[in-house]
Amino acid sequence: MNSSKKLGLLLITPAAIVVVMLFLVPVVLTAVFAFTNMSTSTGISGGAYQISPNALQELRDHYDMPSVAERLSQSGFAVDEPGLAALGKAGIDADIVTELRGHIGETFAARRDAERAIRNLNHRPSLREVKQISDQFNRSIMNARYDSKAALLAAVASVMPNLSGAEHQAIIAASYTGWTWTTGNFRRMASIPGTQRSLVNTMVYVAFTLTLFNIGFAMVLAITTFYMPSRAAGFFRGVWLLPRISPPVIYVLLWKWLAWDTGFLSVFLGRFGIHSRNWMLDSGTNAWVFVVLINGFVGASMGMLIFSSALQAIPRPLLYASEVDGASRWQQIWHIIMPQLRWPILFVTCYQTLSLLTSFDLILLSTNGGPGGSTEVWALATYHTALNNYAGNLEYGYGAAMALVLVVVGVFLSLAYLRLFNYRDLVAKPLIEH
Amino acid sequence: MTSNFRAWPVVLALSIVSAPLVLMYVYLLVDTVTSTAPGSLIPYEFTLRHWTFLWTPVPGRPDIWRVALNTLVFATASSAIVLSLSSTAGYVLSRLNVPFRRFFLAGVMVLHAFPSVTLIVAIFLVLQMVGLYNSLAGVILVKAALDMPLGIWIMKGFYDTVPWEIEMAGIQDGASRFTVWRRLVLPQVRPALLALGLFAFLSGWSEFILPQVLAPDNRVQVLSVYLAGLIADDNNFDMALFKSVGVFYVVPVILLFLFFQKHLMNIYGGGTKG
Amino acid sequence: MRILLDGFTKSFGPMTVIDKMTLEIRDGEMLALLGPSGCGKSTTLFAICGIHKISAGRILFGDRDVTNVASQQRNVGVVFQSYALYPHMTVAENIAFPLEVKKLKAAEIKRQVDQMAELVHIEELMKRRPAELSGGQQQRVALARALVRKPDVLLLDEPLANLDSKLRLEMRSEIRRLQLATGITAILVTHDQVEAMSMCDRIAIMNAGEIVQIATPGEMYRNPRTEFVAGFLGNPPIAFLHGVATSGGFASVGGEAIALPASVPLPPPGSKLTLGIRPEHFGPTGNIPIRGRISFIETQGRENLYDVTLPSGSMLRSIQPLRGDVALNEEIEWSIAGDRILVFDEHGTRL
Ligand SMILES: Nc1ncnc2c1ncn2[C@@H]1O[C@H](COP(=O)(O)OP(=O)(O)O)[C@@H](O)[C@H]1O
Ligand SMILES: [Mg+2]
Repeated sequence: MNSSKKLGLLLITPAAIVVVMLFLVPVVLTAVFAFTNMSTSTGISGGAYQISPNALQELRDHYDMPSVAERLSQSGFAVDEPGLAALGKAGIDADIVTELRGHIGETFAARRDAERAIRNLNHRPSLREVKQISDQFNRSIMNARYDSKAALLAAVASVMPNLSGAEHQAIIAASYTGWTWTTGNFRRMASIPGTQRSLVNTMVYVAFTLTLFNIGFAMVLAITTFYMPSRAAGFFRGVWLLPRISPPVIYVLLWKWLAWDTGFLSVFLGRFGIHSRNWMLDSGTNAWVFVVLINGFVGASMGMLIFSSALQAIPRPLLYASEVDGASRWQQIWHIIMPQLRWPILFVTCYQTLSLLTSFDLILLSTNGGPGGSTEVWALATYHTALNNYAGNLEYGYGAAMALVLVVVGVFLSLAYLRLFNYRDLVAKPLIEH
Repeated sequence: MTSNFRAWPVVLALSIVSAPLVLMYVYLLVDTVTSTAPGSLIPYEFTLRHWTFLWTPVPGRPDIWRVALNTLVFATASSAIVLSLSSTAGYVLSRLNVPFRRFFLAGVMVLHAFPSVTLIVAIFLVLQMVGLYNSLAGVILVKAALDMPLGIWIMKGFYDTVPWEIEMAGIQDGASRFTVWRRLVLPQVRPALLALGLFAFLSGWSEFILPQVLAPDNRVQVLSVYLAGLIADDNNFDMALFKSVGVFYVVPVILLFLFFQKHLMNIYGGGTKG
Repeated sequence: MRILLDGFTKSFGPMTVIDKMTLEIRDGEMLALLGPSGCGKSTTLFAICGIHKISAGRILFGDRDVTNVASQQRNVGVVFQSYALYPHMTVAENIAFPLEVKKLKAAEIKRQVDQMAELVHIEELMKRRPAELSGGQQQRVALARALVRKPDVLLLDEPLANLDSKLRLEMRSEIRRLQLATGITAILVTHDQVEAMSMCDRIAIMNAGEIVQIATPGEMYRNPRTEFVAGFLGNPPIAFLHGVATSGGFASVGGEAIALPASVPLPPPGSKLTLGIRPEHFGPTGNIPIRGRISFIETQGRENLYDVTLPSGSMLRSIQPLRGDVALNEEIEWSIAGDRILVFDEHGTRL
């Protein structure tokens, strides 16, 4: 191996490791997580075993074992030898213990029933004693958490010693609180109406923002500043770059100030007798207008810069010649300027489609998908599902499944992007061969 | 442009279209140092009241200076990582004969276009698993990684413009490839390093989603998360306070941009996200 | 140091640019690699200095086989067409760089750099940066940097191409002076025959990846081995007449018959032939008279160049001291110096 190869591998390794760890691994893991039911309640590491009401429900409905479920649920309080022995040690009056021995074998479904029976003993134990005694007879396995299958099965065996293997497995599966593998996320995605809604929203969002602003208005900006004296052009380009360089949180704050019910629009229009209201969130249509404006104002600047530099490349004599030939400004724009923009438009379209499809920070900060989910795009829905919602139950698995859709789209489109742009030119072989 | 066309109608038209934007930014500044009566648009007094958050923390929020420091650390560290990894990897892809070079190049190009925010769910879970959730280190690493393909791409572009003869001459002068890179090539791309460093810094300074998702805790909060939290808190609606914090947050950005506009334009025009 | 390319072959992917070239450069000589653009001169140069790996063959420096030795270890000085000065370093730093990588002591570096600067006459430029130098000054700095590490070989890739014509003249003699002063073995790559002829001990003329002829400039001019060489050397260029062999002579396509000296071994009558006639061998004196019409006169100062169109439409050139007695479109009868005619067969090989 020659020195350039060695140095090359050395220099590229850190970057390669980072790419693998934070791109490749997450892509793969997105796919992996998409096939789990991870959520806040299952946790993301392993789980425990707990005979919860849910678990019983599942035993009844899913495993068709109503009698087992019934028995587990009634595994309440039992007067038995081990309990009596423990009472002796705990220093309970021997007479009470003796009297209880007469009740051996009795069971109670709930603590309440057990304690009533104890209170009614002839020896009338004190309240503290009643509590102590009932504790010793507590044989309930309802809602207790067991860290291992063995612990769970031991506890179950103390209630129902003669269960079959299949019944054990069913109990284990039903009481497991951790996450499990499933394809349910995709079935659910295909069936719920929210899916279609966020898909439509995403398309509306991308189509309007892209055509109106990222391409359309960007072109207007590039062409108008092209025709201006250079100082004015510089000023306007600077102004339209502000949204891009401002951190999104502040940028959106400015829009909120404009639109909120005590904001600029309300106050200003109030002068003309129009009721103050939250212009951004009072109707779905308004929300969309703002979402497109907010994203569009940011998006326009990229196109503006790219188109402007394409226009700067037009040979001046061509323009002078066309003016000498008597071309109107429109004709000049149509015949000389537009053809120059064909390639940049394709570039911006590709690039921005991808980033619009997946970006959601501005929507999150402005409408947060509202009102009533009318501006909830796919990426934002993913965020709400997996990372942040009011209900507090974050469904990582389902969120990953939604993200997987975007990842797949992203991979395909960015591969297409690779094909579209002259990759070949970029890989010219190094001229120094050693 | 050419004098055969009058410029003023265009200037006028664009002025009208740009007015809302200018208005928003002007009011951003004005509202932080004045008071305005409800229902009015004209301030009636000058005041520094809205800036008290600088010395008295807003109830229930961390100290602003602590948050600013976190932001600075976050932005500086992630841009330093982006810079060092991109300047080495970009050079390799531009100039060195490594195995799988085409594969690396295609990979970087795809990643450059790939919308990395889609990976956030997986990254969130990974950070939880490895214990880097709610730590600056974790979110710095993620931010640097996500900005890196763009960085490599830009650096490769700049290295491509350095004449091969310079490197050939260096080799003939007896220098190793590493020395050639360090002493001869790297100095030629200094403007690119400056631009990329600034860009990565600003990008880190502005970042919201990553710290919001990966490090929301008060201890490690950055300005974007702090301000978003302030705004989202329905019990404490104080637009002037939001704006003052906003100005505090945005001023470094605007200053850097004004000073280094020429350098940054290269990158903003060349295919950043958004 | 003697340099030998032995069966040197270079391919880029499927395309073989140079196929089994063998070339020897003698110790201390300056050899020109002359040929049209794209013929593989730079490729040869890059192989010698180690920037390219060669596809087959060997490269020897003296007795040392350097075929697989890295550039850094070959001790070759190169001056690039663009000079490739390091723009961020001053002239002094540029020249010192090769010594710095050798890790010499600072005082020693300074001594050698100053010595070099004196040799190439740039003492007063040492603090400037390359951008503040004229083309000729940059060239001198590049030479100094290439020579400072006392290389075994000096390679110059089109060193004069970026200079204006006056500077070019100056640097031509300057480079030769330095080469002679240091006694270094040097290879000059150029597509300009005047440079090659005026600066070098020998010329290797290349075409399409092959060395067509190696000889001293005078020998090559008088005695070219092929039509290509004859056409490449000489300014104003040689004129060619195409035709066929007759018994004892040559008949041009248009019908002019020219008797050839008996020393030329002629092919059977009817074979295709080309005659090469240099401008200085066609004029008022000579032994083969030929009629024609003056179709163009180019004044070169001391001399005039006349284009003479023959009745058949072919053209000959004549260079003569200034004379006022011929005018454009005048019919003349001038003569060719028969013993100087160069005769080539249909493959362009000299007969
Ligand atoms: N790195 C390369 N890859 C492919 N072909 C090359 C490369 N370098 C040179 N060539 C080809 O080799 C031939 C000779 O090139 P070169 O040696 O540069 O010619 P010149 O005599 O003008 O210096 C040309 O046809 C050129 O296109
Ligand atoms: Mg060349």
